[in-house]
Formats: sequence, C-alpha cells, structure tokens
Amino acid sequence: MLHTLSIYRRLIGVQLRSQMQYRFAFLMDVIAAAIVTLLEFGSLALVFERFDNIKGWTLGEVAFLYGLVEFSFSLMDMIFSGFDPQRFGREIRRGTFDQMLLRPVNITMQVLGMEFVLRRLGRMALGAAIFMLALSQTDIVWTVAKLLYLPIVVFSMVCFFGGLFIIGATITFWTIESIEVMNILTYGGSFLISHPMHIYGDWMRRFFTYIVPAIFLNYYPALYFLDKPDPFNFPFFAPFLSPLVGLMFLGTALAFWRFGRKHYQSTGT
Amino acid sequence: MRLFWELTKRSFQRYMTYRAAAIAGLVTNLFFGLLRVAILLALYGERQEVEGYTVAGIITYTVLTQAVIAYLSMFGWYDLMNSVYSGDVGSDLLKPMSYFRFWLAQDLGRALVNFLLRGVAIMAIYALIFDLVYPQTAGQFLALLISISLSWLISFAWRFLINLAAFWTPNATGIGRFGYMLSLFFSGFLMPLRFLPDWVQTMANFTPFPHLLNTVVDVYLGILTGEALLLALLTQAVWAVGLVVIGQLVLRTAVKRLVILGG
Repeated sequence: MLHTLSIYRRLIGVQLRSQMQYRFAFLMDVIAAAIVTLLEFGSLALVFERFDNIKGWTLGEVAFLYGLVEFSFSLMDMIFSGFDPQRFGREIRRGTFDQMLLRPVNITMQVLGMEFVLRRLGRMALGAAIFMLALSQTDIVWTVAKLLYLPIVVFSMVCFFGGLFIIGATITFWTIESIEVMNILTYGGSFLISHPMHIYGDWMRRFFTYIVPAIFLNYYPALYFLDKPDPFNFPFFAPFLSPLVGLMFLGTALAFWRFGRKHYQSTGT
Repeated sequence: MRLFWELTKRSFQRYMTYRAAAIAGLVTNLFFGLLRVAILLALYGERQEVEGYTVAGIITYTVLTQAVIAYLSMFGWYDLMNSVYSGDVGSDLLKPMSYFRFWLAQDLGRALVNFLLRGVAIMAIYALIFDLVYPQTAGQFLALLISISLSWLISFAWRFLINLAAFWTPNATGIGRFGYMLSLFFSGFLMPLRFLPDWVQTMANFTPFPHLLNTVVDVYLGILTGEALLLALLTQAVWAVGLVVIGQLVLRTAVKRLVILGG
C-alpha cells in the first residue's frame, strides 16, 4: 500500500513539474479558468440587482451553494482527471491502457497519476471566493458541528463526482468514446446543484433525489448551515446524508471499475 | 466562386455524417435549456414580463440560445489553430484560394448542418414542451434571416481572429478559451443583456458580441422594430465587415511570421 502511494506521489510530481515548465502559459491557463467561472457566476450575481431573489433565496444563499460546488467539483476534477472520460477514452482508443495494465503497479493508482490538472486551481480559488462572498452576505450561526461538517460536505461531493468520472471512464471500455449522458450527469449535475433545488420542476427534482441523489450533496446541507426550513419535509437527518451518498457512489463506481477491468477486451491497436 | 461553393458543399456533407453526435448534443441542449428556463422562471417569480421579455418570450430566448450553440460554435472552435500546430497550414496556404475564404467556405457548410441538426431540431423539441413565441410578419422573417446570417459572419470572423493567435504562440488554446468566454458572456448567452446593469450593457456595446445572439433574439421576438431594427441590422453589418477586414490584415502579418517545422 505504501509502495503504491509513493508511486502515486511520484506520478503526480511528474505531472506538476511538467505543467509548471511553461510558467507563463500555465499562469494564463489558471487565470483564464478563474475568469470563466467569474463571468458565469457574475452574470447570475449581476441580475440579482434587478430580481432581488430567486424563489426566496438571496444572492448570498445561492453563492453558498454555487461556491461550494465550484470548489468541490474543481478539486475533484484535479484529482480524478485521469478518469475524465474524455481523457480516459483516449487511452483506450490508443491502446496505451493495455501498456498500463502490464506494469507492476496498481492500475487505479496509475490512472489517477496519469493526469493531475493543476490549472483547476483557478476554478477552485474562484469557488472559494464565491463561498467567501456567501459568508459575508448571510448570517450563518456557526457551531462546532457546522465547522466540522463543512469539509465533510466538500469530501462527499469529491467522492460523488469522482465516482461519476470513474463510471464514465469504465463505460468507455465498451463504448470507446465518452457518452453524453455521463457528461450531462457530471457537468449538468454540478450546474444543477449550484442553484437551490426547489426552483426545478417536479420531474427534474425527483430524478435528482431518488435516482441520482445529488440533492443531498449540497442543498440539504445548505438548509442546515443556513438554518432554512425544508420545503419538502424530509426527515431531520436529511442534511447529513451527504457523506453516505458520496461514499456509496464512489464505492459503486469502484466496483463497476473492477468489473470493467475484468471483462476488458482491448481495441487491439 | 465555384470553388467556394464546392468546398461548402463538401463540408456540409462531411458534417452531415456526424448524426449520432448531433443527437447527443441535442440531449445536452435539452437538459441545460431546461435548467436555464427553471432559473429564469424562478427569477421572474410573479412577474409576467421583464424588459420586454414575457414569460413565453424568455423561454423562447433560452431555447434560441441553446439552438445557436452549435451553429455559431459558441463554446470554441480550434480547427484552424490545430492545423497550424500540425503543420497542415503549409499546404493550406499553397491552395489556389484565399486562406480566409478557404476556412469561410468550410465553416459555412458546418454552420448550415448545425443550423438544421442542432438549431431547428432543438426548437422543434422544445416546441413540444413549451409555448414558444414565433415571428409574426414576413418582414420579421426577412429581418431574422438577415440578422442570423450576419451573426454567423461575425462569429466566423471572430473565431478566425482568435485562431490566428496560433501564428504567434505555441499555446493559443488559453487565449482561445478566454476569447470564447468573453464572446459568450457579452452575447447574452448566460443572461439576456437587458437584465444586466447598464454599465455592463455599455461595455457590451463596444464589442461585436451582442450581435451574435442578443440582437438576433430581439429581432426574432419582435422587440426590435422599425428604426431600432434597421439600426441594429446596420450595426451588425458594420461589425461583420469590420471584423472580416481586421482578420485579413492580421492574417497578412501572421503569414509573414510563419515558421513551419519540417516534417
């Protein structure tokens, strides 16, 4: 186990060093990523001047959701970039995945160490900044419990979306290309939970409650942090289901990944 | 001239083969469109109309934004850049056709395919779910046709310019991403420009980007009429011509700088 981890550290080190070689280009990428997020959130924030609230939620409260998701998602993206279905699909098509299987190192670690997109730091920083904005615009009553739970919420989202990445990557064993449905769940899903769930129609909301339980990742914890009433009258423990959802998803994803590897038939390139 | 249309036709045929990808794109358009509609309607609350956009109007606005994504390659187009990095630009510049018109013809083919497979198709799908607004008069249709053609030309000229950055730097994708996000924001894609504060709208009007989407939608919904409509179309045309000219000038300088690594 220790050996595997040290290999992982070396692989990540290589990634980081190679990305930092072109300092200027790297800095430009980080700033560009940050500006992209800034404009996206900015367009929402700017219309709050005119509309004042979104179904009862203020800008600060929306920023709480938005910032938390941005931060967690880009952290996940950085760590799990090896499993990014588009990236992973390329390895499958080229046949380089077969080479990786032949190496005497745990394959999951290899894939994780394959790519570590440091420039996601730009988005992470913006996510943190938006979250800071939320803290300044809302009167959250902080308790020890809330302070302890916050990093758990981030961790749960990293696990959940990381799981989606892994599932998407495993599917490329059969489909070669990343499939659109997975992109929708990952990027669409994170966009969806960046806004309060009660603005969505019943179908959409129920899908993301009972089939892909993303509502518990962000919205319910937010209700807890912001001391807001639950419009759907779920049991009192609903806000604390996020680590359960996150870990369950990651666990299922890893099981699927194991299954995919066992039955993997190369493209023969 | 004949060569131009032959290129366009072949490009059209080429892009027509990506039908499976088009369906995948439509599903994404549908999903994100539904999200954006939900967000806008939640913002509207009890309001029936904001800045000239009725509830049906703002839903149509959202659908139109989804419809033009593929048509205008709003999320980025890097083909030219890639051809520079791969060295293909060498043979492209030797072709018996102006480099600009070479890419223009190909883009026209691509745009027409996307107009049908992604644009019209997504509108048809949304028409089944929502009550949309449609242009009422023949005049509106004509204005719309002009506006949408000019928006494509502006889009191409801008994408052409951005891609020319590849002649200067080995890593123009960052510039590309930034440029495309800028055009996306000021086009009114994320939020209708009329909803944004005045200072943002002023900034936007110094750029050609409102004319990619915002102007087209306002023509479609009939918000722009009479003199305002003519002025808008004229401004669109001026921007289109301007960007094309700038593109040609930059291209001339770019080609002088070109260094192709052998092989």
